[in-house]
Amino acid sequence: MKVVLALWMAAVAYGVFFLVPPAEGLGYLVRIAFFHIPVAWVSVLAFFQSALEAFRYLRTREPRHDWRSSAAAALGLGFCLLATGSGAVFAKLTWGAYWNWDPRQTTIFVLLLIYGAYLALRASLEEAELRARISAVYALLSFLTVPFLVFVLPRFYYSLHPEPLLNSTGRLQMEPGMLVVLLAAVGGVTAIYWQLWRWQVGRQERQYEMPLREGVNR
Amino acid sequence: MPDKSSIWDKPLWTVLTKDLTCEFRSRQALGSLGMFALITLACVSMSLGGAVLEPQLAAALLWVVLFFAAMAGLARSFVQEQETGTLFTLRLYASAPAVFFGKLMFNLVLLMGLTAMILPLFVILLNVDVLLPEVLLLTVLLGNLGIGTVSTLTAAMLTRAQGKGALFTVLTFPVLLPQFLSAVSVTTQALNGAFTGYRELLFMAGYDGLMLAAAMLLFDILWQD
Repeated sequence: MKVVLALWMAAVAYGVFFLVPPAEGLGYLVRIAFFHIPVAWVSVLAFFQSALEAFRYLRTREPRHDWRSSAAAALGLGFCLLATGSGAVFAKLTWGAYWNWDPRQTTIFVLLLIYGAYLALRASLEEAELRARISAVYALLSFLTVPFLVFVLPRFYYSLHPEPLLNSTGRLQMEPGMLVVLLAAVGGVTAIYWQLWRWQVGRQERQYEMPLREGVNR
Repeated sequence: MPDKSSIWDKPLWTVLTKDLTCEFRSRQALGSLGMFALITLACVSMSLGGAVLEPQLAAALLWVVLFFAAMAGLARSFVQEQETGTLFTLRLYASAPAVFFGKLMFNLVLLMGLTAMILPLFVILLNVDVLLPEVLLLTVLLGNLGIGTVSTLTAAMLTRAQGKGALFTVLTFPVLLPQFLSAVSVTTQALNGAFTGYRELLFMAGYDGLMLAAAMLLFDILWQD
């Protein structure tokens, strides 16, 4: 699986550097987008997954949902940092400033703050059951800000950010070759995230079961 | 046994009266909060030295002062119960919604008191002209409701956490941010008179409603033990 993934990403990298034509108005800078879009997508995906697992934890109270939720949040923070960084570089090269509180930058920044706050909250709670319960509540509470940030805020402020891939007109404004490479990149990065997440969850499971291995049937 | 008949029953008001009485006797929160707000405003005003502020800047400053003063004061609502060992009794006496709304109302009373102090001082010290006072008041009311709701919930989360003070602000701010931004924007309009309509106020009210509903449900989970 890992070998396939490595080959896949190598192919994507080859596609980005040798196959993709320079975009109109952006030139070869468009290559950053092939890193930025998948990473941003994963950081949002991880956020949704974290909230979903938090909800499932509160329904079932099984610790494994808590591990899944926290693993998604921890990885999400990493991907979110990458997305913010690559976005800032892209903004500097195309808009002329690293940071100007464009609505999308505000949104990703809030996501960053939420991830940070969630992990800080987890770090400050010692008892496992309490930590799981309270951080699940926080994950759900912060999830509620998403509709306001994604749908309502950008209407108030003018954005320079290119329309997202899934835009309101429902049309894909992209060359087919480019689109294929981009989708491959999104798929590859999502698979990397998935692998890392599985590995994190597995590690926590082993840690949890180590002292209980004898005589406990689970 | 926790009373489950109706949340508007006696326990809610008892929780509120209890908190008000405690506050009236000790004057712990209001004293420190008032001084905190005064110092922050004076800090800004003194360092500006009477310079005239753009409405947008003044609006941003007002909300920064309000937010941090609220954060300084509201963190204690459940920590205090924990420290004095009354959390358990409270849990025996009242159901989750009663405690939540009792605490929320107490926090709102505190916030309104705080605002009643900050707003006039803000106008006086920073030499701001408010062209649409009624819009400003409405914004502050809606903003306070949001701050109160979210921070009652986050304060409840932190009763048993380490390093509460800093974490409280860290947890509350991202959740409040959508409202914070529109509050600053409406306040700017209220200060310079270019009011563009009730859409943003509606947005704030919608946010408050959603947060209130969510906080009520989520508090239930926090309160059970």
